[in-house]
Amino acid sequence: MRAEAWTGWVGPFRPDARPRTRLPATGDAVAPRAGADEGSEAQAAGEAEMMPCSLHVYRYRRGGAGIGAVVGAYDPGLPEDDLVAQADEALERATFMCYAVAQADDFVEDELCFVPCGDHCEILSIHTNGWRRHHGDHRRSLVEILSDLAAAVACGRLRLFDGEEIAVEAGAGDELLHMAIDEPRALARARRAVDARLAAEGLDPALRRTTLLPISEAVTNLLLHGGGSGELTLRRLPDRVRAVVSDRGPGLNFLNWIEPPDVSGQASMGYGFKIITENLDVVGLHTQPDGTTLLLDRIV
Amino acid sequence: MLQTSTVPGPAPTIFLAGEMDLDCADSLRTAVAGAARGAQTVTLDFSGVEFIDSSGTGIFVRLCLDLKSQGVPVVARNLTAPVHGVFEMLRVRELVGEDVLPVA
Repeated sequence: MRAEAWTGWVGPFRPDARPRTRLPATGDAVAPRAGADEGSEAQAAGEAEMMPCSLHVYRYRRGGAGIGAVVGAYDPGLPEDDLVAQADEALERATFMCYAVAQADDFVEDELCFVPCGDHCEILSIHTNGWRRHHGDHRRSLVEILSDLAAAVACGRLRLFDGEEIAVEAGAGDELLHMAIDEPRALARARRAVDARLAAEGLDPALRRTTLLPISEAVTNLLLHGGGSGELTLRRLPDRVRAVVSDRGPGLNFLNWIEPPDVSGQASMGYGFKIITENLDVVGLHTQPDGTTLLLDRIV
Repeated sequence: MLQTSTVPGPAPTIFLAGEMDLDCADSLRTAVAGAARGAQTVTLDFSGVEFIDSSGTGIFVRLCLDLKSQGVPVVARNLTAPVHGVFEMLRVRELVGEDVLPVA
């Protein structure tokens, strides 16, 4: 992966545009909690209003279709010509490119990744909105998180779906199991129920273990960051078993990264999604301000 | 569900058994807080842990860092294969230090 300072941006990605006062993003209406950003430059500067960190994914298709939003809304102020040029280059070179839009003091404002995916290019961005990790915090940086996401997309392990696509994918195949999830104790129940179904589908114990772990992570995310309730469905497709984990929470907005410890008494480390993408064959993601759906595929 | 049992003393050992996930925070924190009071060192024995995820790992990391900041050394021992696998995947040794997780 190549990362370098990109100084050519204008518009919303302009390096001196920190912090944004408006982002058409997941969690748009949520203001940071008092005390949540100790150590952040923006707080030190006395900024009265800051937006959460935000993930955007845009999809570029050649042939005049242009760029559309997959995660988050499309910002009409984006420097589309620049995005198209970089996306074209990523497609031509068949390699994914990452750029850190940094301040003079190396504070990363935006991290952008252009990931070629066959006939289109996914453009992933985390805008930090001036937030920094707590000093001495053991959580991962947003850049690490985005880089992992981009690498997973580049390797074909993570697929990003818009609303129409996810509706089709989440309903594919035959239903094996369906559970409502609404409390932490449901985690153990869900693991046992899924394990029994996976065994019935012929998965050996080792494969079941490496399948259960990421499913447990996804259900945990639902409980912690997805509004506290949702659904887990296990489905059988011709070549795979698919867990569908869905919630109606605020979407992937990284508030868990910048907020103080929550119901579990600990801040999120940011490792759950890493476990999910590294332990399954394919992961699908759809996230918007009205909910998130994950498809967790184990090819059998 | 996580079960804990403690051999008390100036260097108590807390035996962990079962599953370490989001649901284990209270029981683990309570067990460690009770055992660590006035202790010279605390040992966490993972030999009975069958499952751990990033939430269970995060709770363990937080407890270790809290105890160390209070001057109480912590040692983790007898990691089972599932625990070892997740700790390696998440590079937990880099977070808590080799004094907690000695290199085998």
